[in-house]
Amino acid sequence: MSPFATFVARRLARACVLVIVVASAAVLLVHLAPGDAVTELGLDPARAAAERSRLGLDRSFVRQYTEWVGRLLTLDLGESVRFQRPVVELLVERVGYTLVLGVAALVLALGIGLPAGVLTGQRRGDLVSRGIAAISLLLLSTPPLVTALLFLLIASRTGWFPPGGLGVADGTGPLAALEMTVRYLPLPALALALPIAASLERLQSQAVAEALRDPCVIAAQARGLSASRVIWVHAWRLSLKPVLGVLGIVIGSVLSGSFVVELVMSWPGLGNLMFEALTAQDLHLAAGCAAMGAGLLSIGLLSTDIALASADPVTIESA
Amino acid sequence: MNRSLKITLAALLALVAFGGVTWCRADRTRTSDATNRGRITASIRSEPAGYNRYLTSTAAGDLLSRLTDGRLIVLNRSTDEVEPALAERWTQSADGLSYTLSLRRDVRFSDGEPFTSADVLFSARVLYDPDVASPLGASSLIEGKPLAFSAPDPWTVTVTLPSPFAPGIRLLENLPILPRHKLEAALNEKRLREAWRVGSPLSEIAVLGPFVLKEHVTGQRLVFERNPHYWRRDASGTPLPHLDGITIFVVPDQNTEALRQRSGEIDLMVNGDIRPEDYAGFKAAADQGRLVLHDAGIATDTNFLWFNLSAAARERLAWLHDPRVRQAISYAVNRQAIVDTVYLGAAVPIYGPVSPANRAWFSPTAPQYPHDRQKATALLGAAGLVDRNGDRMLDDTRGRPVRFSILTNTGNTLRERTASLIQAHLKEVGIAVDLVTIEQRAMGENIRTGEYDAVYHATQASSLDPALNLAFWSSDGSFHIWNPNQATPATPWEAEIDSLMDRQAAASSQSERQRLFAEAQRIIGEQLPVIYFVAPRVTIAVSPRVRNVTPVAQPPHVLWNAELLAVDRK
Amino acid sequence: MIDRTRIFGGTLLALILIALAAAPVLSPNPPDVLFQDLAFAPPMRPRLIDGGGIRRPFVYPWRLADDRRTLQFQPDTSRPREIAFFQDGRVASTSPEPWLLLGGDPLGRDVFSRLLAGGRLSFGVAFFAALLALAVGSTLGAAAGFAGGRTDRTITAVADLVIVLPLLYVVVTLRASLPLVLETTSIFWTMVAVMGLATWPVPARGVRAIVAAERQKPYAESAYAVGAGPLRILLRHLLPAAAGHIAIQGLLLFPAFIFAEATLSFVGLGFADPTSSWGIMLHDAAGIAAMTRAPWLMAPAAVIVLTVVAIQLVIRGSETRARPRQGLSARAAV
Repeated sequence: MSPFATFVARRLARACVLVIVVASAAVLLVHLAPGDAVTELGLDPARAAAERSRLGLDRSFVRQYTEWVGRLLTLDLGESVRFQRPVVELLVERVGYTLVLGVAALVLALGIGLPAGVLTGQRRGDLVSRGIAAISLLLLSTPPLVTALLFLLIASRTGWFPPGGLGVADGTGPLAALEMTVRYLPLPALALALPIAASLERLQSQAVAEALRDPCVIAAQARGLSASRVIWVHAWRLSLKPVLGVLGIVIGSVLSGSFVVELVMSWPGLGNLMFEALTAQDLHLAAGCAAMGAGLLSIGLLSTDIALASADPVTIESA
Repeated sequence: MNRSLKITLAALLALVAFGGVTWCRADRTRTSDATNRGRITASIRSEPAGYNRYLTSTAAGDLLSRLTDGRLIVLNRSTDEVEPALAERWTQSADGLSYTLSLRRDVRFSDGEPFTSADVLFSARVLYDPDVASPLGASSLIEGKPLAFSAPDPWTVTVTLPSPFAPGIRLLENLPILPRHKLEAALNEKRLREAWRVGSPLSEIAVLGPFVLKEHVTGQRLVFERNPHYWRRDASGTPLPHLDGITIFVVPDQNTEALRQRSGEIDLMVNGDIRPEDYAGFKAAADQGRLVLHDAGIATDTNFLWFNLSAAARERLAWLHDPRVRQAISYAVNRQAIVDTVYLGAAVPIYGPVSPANRAWFSPTAPQYPHDRQKATALLGAAGLVDRNGDRMLDDTRGRPVRFSILTNTGNTLRERTASLIQAHLKEVGIAVDLVTIEQRAMGENIRTGEYDAVYHATQASSLDPALNLAFWSSDGSFHIWNPNQATPATPWEAEIDSLMDRQAAASSQSERQRLFAEAQRIIGEQLPVIYFVAPRVTIAVSPRVRNVTPVAQPPHVLWNAELLAVDRK
Repeated sequence: MIDRTRIFGGTLLALILIALAAAPVLSPNPPDVLFQDLAFAPPMRPRLIDGGGIRRPFVYPWRLADDRRTLQFQPDTSRPREIAFFQDGRVASTSPEPWLLLGGDPLGRDVFSRLLAGGRLSFGVAFFAALLALAVGSTLGAAAGFAGGRTDRTITAVADLVIVLPLLYVVVTLRASLPLVLETTSIFWTMVAVMGLATWPVPARGVRAIVAAERQKPYAESAYAVGAGPLRILLRHLLPAAAGHIAIQGLLLFPAFIFAEATLSFVGLGFADPTSSWGIMLHDAAGIAAMTRAPWLMAPAAVIVLTVVAIQLVIRGSETRARPRQGLSARAAV
């Protein structure tokens, strides 16, 4: 097998292990957290005990965990106490929304942030560069909740976008669903994408600025290559590495759901679900969400690691 | 032009184009077009976890039940009177222990099947079934014993109480009627929990209420349609409900909810009474005619401060177990400041568990504690708490500083702000308070294990009738929150309250009950295991197109009589 | 070569830090006092012109409209309060009356004073947490990028685990194991530890990539051939190559940590009242009513922006092409 294929296979295996480890950690953490799914103010102790017994929460942790692992092998993630439905059903429902929002936000963030970063990285000191830098700094120093609310306010005042949620489709069928998505997606996608674009712009800018000072690039310039070729071929490749490193985390966290944006925009995604699982101390749901989140994060990390490896095959041997 | 500049501009242009396309297609008209003429839209914070009222105790589940389930009798939230529903009339036996109800004839479930007393008996089975372990069943016991149901014929039901119980027939509000023909098999095979869960086909659900759940898109909305088989008609003989349907959106965030209502996208918020700071915005919208604001009166369920009075806690903070100290605390807190600062004037000071809005049961002779720092200091001094070292903070008889912690949960702004004020006011009389804000369940666990000094929190939706709140008043109750589940009363005054409450629960005359309950309120007002500070004024915002709105202080504020609501049909 | 932009940024940063350090002296009022009838009050502007003419600097107190809920205030022109300078240990105040330079918060406390007092805590937490994350992250990232092989694999695996682990769950469980009542210092350092240790993989990944790339370069290999030890190569050549990236990471982490402080307090690990912090203040400000009717509550956001801009200016200097990297000459002198 080629070294590249070994690399990918190894990383995939590691990702699977990671998912199981994280899900187990979530089970342990939720179990250790004070109270449990049944804890409620003023609940009659006899009834509480009966309910615990019914849910199997009164057994030892080892037993509960073993049972959970056993179920995991059959891809059964148990049932959510909070929602009274199989965890798998809930995850499948919500992951679609999160992925749609996440991919849209990523496309926007990458499409805006990276080119803007390349532009400002050239340090030409002109008005556009300074303007972009200022906007980036503003965006990343504002709390995400405030940004999301601001977008919501603007949307509701101007009526340009529907203020959150997902409306009722006019008809049935994939075209109507698509149209509805197109209508309701931009606002949450923008709210999610712009702060990320700002961070990416800053990172990319720094990386390009340093790449431009690299001897290879200066040499390319000296060889008489056009400015844009120098930037977009040579400097770009050099700048990729540090940005890709962080990008993996960004991709992963966007894919696994942003709690704030989902909450404010009433977007029923994974981030929201994860938080609900936490507050309800819903063991199975928490483990399922953690597993799903870990899986998506791993996909993010893996994708950028593969991109890194293909950009610079030398890194494969260390992975 | 530099290539990167070109690319960036292209990206921005694409963004603008994208926005433009969406803008053109944006639905900027309200949802009041032809298809929505007879409907209203509402918003709710969380959705039901199932469609069987017997298995849930959430607010969303309760709302679902109010919209879709039929009951033998209903409680008019506005007048607090019992009104006939599926039971046309009833008689009470001479000893007061049994009721004979005559059921309405020719009533059908939403699937066309006839309703008979067999359905009532079936529902009673579900209520008390041990496998189902329904929370409704737990609240339908009298001194731990269930009601007995029997049906001599398909149109008559007899309910027998195990012992005299004043509220009597009111308990039947806890009995939504389930269709026997749909669920009996499931109950017999002990799989009632599997039936009617989220995800099961909605066509399997047959109900007797004004609306039927037609669609549930999880995480997004619930769509109700009028039930064509609904039995009720209004005064002029028109079949109810007036509305063609109700669409309820799931909006978890309070800010978003408020925005969507103000923009006219939804007609009302189900659990949304307006936060004090949002009022200005709503008032502005109301002045422009986009909303109507209703004053629903004073809330009946409020936040309160309670102390850990269990025997184990006595070791740590003995002085907190002295009622004089608690009375001093009640004097020290400036309730008007809480009204003005936290609720911006939209609240009233209260001094006991019964809100003045509960007109039938509120006792004006219960002790009151108007703000008086001198009285507070005097009481504290009498309890041995004085400033012994000149640091302007009190110390107990052993020289240790007077300091205790108040626990409250994260995520409730008004509660946290009130707790801050309490802390500041107590500091002025020399008591140091540590405010600890932790996550709700962690707090619940601390309360359960007794590891706390004091908590600032609220009751669940309690009934107005004290006989239905014995979990709070009785010393063996699970919601006797300062020292729950006592085997025998820990103090003479708790024993006294136990006796009073038992007697008022069994007494038949309303005035006798009121007298006994007033005495219980007096005792609790003197001993102050719980201190109440303010009761907020509830303001509801409704869109002008909704008619026949009768707002009440308890949620669901407007939809409690959804069948009578109507819409302007353009 | 003097870089004026850098100096400007540095000065701005220094000013902010001095203001925070001098909080008790600069605040017109104590930060924890609740002033009656001043919830959501707008800022009180210092004025010079009264109806009668010019006078010494003063402010008008606020008078409430009838219905408090409308949040409308009128200046009470009949009772101007003169500003006293350098009295009672404060630079300027109208003590004991309140002077709300940046308005009142939802409980009637002075936003400006709370901004300064809370800034110490928030700034401190964000700074130390960023320091921790960068230190741990750079070290481990550099080690991974430099050593390669199993060290790299282990570190990357641990980093991935830390990224993927749901932080809030850890915090809830952690909080439960701590005593119910926590001192501010304990909360401070616990937050620093939690935030720093949860985020080190972020700079680590970038540093690892840079170090791994630099390690392949001819100059590094020749340095090795000449006999330079691995630590020396790391410290003198490879890490400086990552310095810019590390600095930018710090820039991004700083505001993120201040916001994270609010999230942590939502699950129970936060500063307790009446202590103020920017995270808590921003949480109060993040509501439709606050944003539209009391925008001064967002003051901490403005200061955060200023701080971030200042840090960026210090890091980058002016936005013009810089001179060639010093590394070239340094490499020659291995």
